[in-house]
Amino acid sequence: QPLNPCPLGERLCSAEEATAGSGTYTRHGFIFSSLAGWVEKKSEDGGLPVVSVVRDAESQLLPDVGAVVTCKVCSINSRFAKVHILYIGSVPLKSTFRGTIRREDIRATEKDKVEVYKSFRPGDIVLAKVISLGDAQSNYLLSTAENELGVVVARSEAGVQMVPISWCEMQCPQTHTKDFRKVARVQPQFLQT
Amino acid sequence: AGGVYWVDSQQKRYVPVKGDHVIGIVTAKAGDVFKLDVGGSEQASLSYLAFEGATKRNRPNVQVGDLIYGQFLVANKDMEPEMVCIDSSGRSTGMGIIGQDGFLFKVSLGLIRKLLAPKCEIIQELSQLYPFELVLGMNGRIWVKAKTVQQTLIIVNILEACEYMTAEQRKQALAKLSGN
Repeated sequence: QPLNPCPLGERLCSAEEATAGSGTYTRHGFIFSSLAGWVEKKSEDGGLPVVSVVRDAESQLLPDVGAVVTCKVCSINSRFAKVHILYIGSVPLKSTFRGTIRREDIRATEKDKVEVYKSFRPGDIVLAKVISLGDAQSNYLLSTAENELGVVVARSEAGVQMVPISWCEMQCPQTHTKDFRKVARVQPQFLQT
Repeated sequence: AGGVYWVDSQQKRYVPVKGDHVIGIVTAKAGDVFKLDVGGSEQASLSYLAFEGATKRNRPNVQVGDLIYGQFLVANKDMEPEMVCIDSSGRSTGMGIIGQDGFLFKVSLGLIRKLLAPKCEIIQELSQLYPFELVLGMNGRIWVKAKTVQQTLIIVNILEACEYMTAEQRKQALAKLSGN
């Protein structure tokens, strides 16, 4: 059925005509929208129809604790790396979430000897697992402390994609220089040749 | 076979390199860390524990505006540079807060490398003129202190002019000065 657009705070209908769904709230006996988007009215069998407001046609996919996400490193620091979460599982996201990989969550063993500069660099594509929904700045806390997690794609200073040679080193095929990274051991079924 | 090859080129803008000894100016104290201006694109950070004999109770007496001679522990294009005033065994080896008075000025990086070469003639000739203290930072900064302000300024002017003077001109200038 056609969806009507509505701005934030629009009074949709009376609380007696329908029930408040997602994206709405009830005040003084009326239902108002708490999002700017499209109004949906779904009729329930037996009961009042449900009024909800949605931003996009599909509901936003959110990372859960324990989900494996694909992210891109945007900046590094001696204590953590900041990343943009691009994919959740194999589903691409329309707007990226921000994540943080702390120094102690990069590896499972020898956590104090870890150097962020020898594990990640800005621009690397990393497979990580969500360990916490994060702090007030909505930075998901991620971890790469498993063999299957870590850097999957990295470019050398020459701009060429590097080839992994061990769990901690990658080599540039053009200049043959070796760089340190925390390399992910990708399962064979996910590799495309 | 083997050995290290590098190309020396003339430049004025300093890029932090790990292991380089530089003179930094303290710009801020943020908690346990000092922020230093080293003439690069980013300010360097220096932990208060990175001084000889510094502990959590015994903090070094560093104020904003002080000069620090230290070396880079971490310096790459992806991260903020980090400095320390101790070496790997915990000794200061001449690094730390540079004392009061004296004069700080900037020269090109090429001149610093020339002055730091072993048996540099310029320094030997100058030391015969007046006694003075000298700190050379790889970031193009030199700190000089002699007995009087006038002597300090004379040395500063000679060092700045060494950029463009030939050895002959320099010897002539020094002869004129020591004649006075």
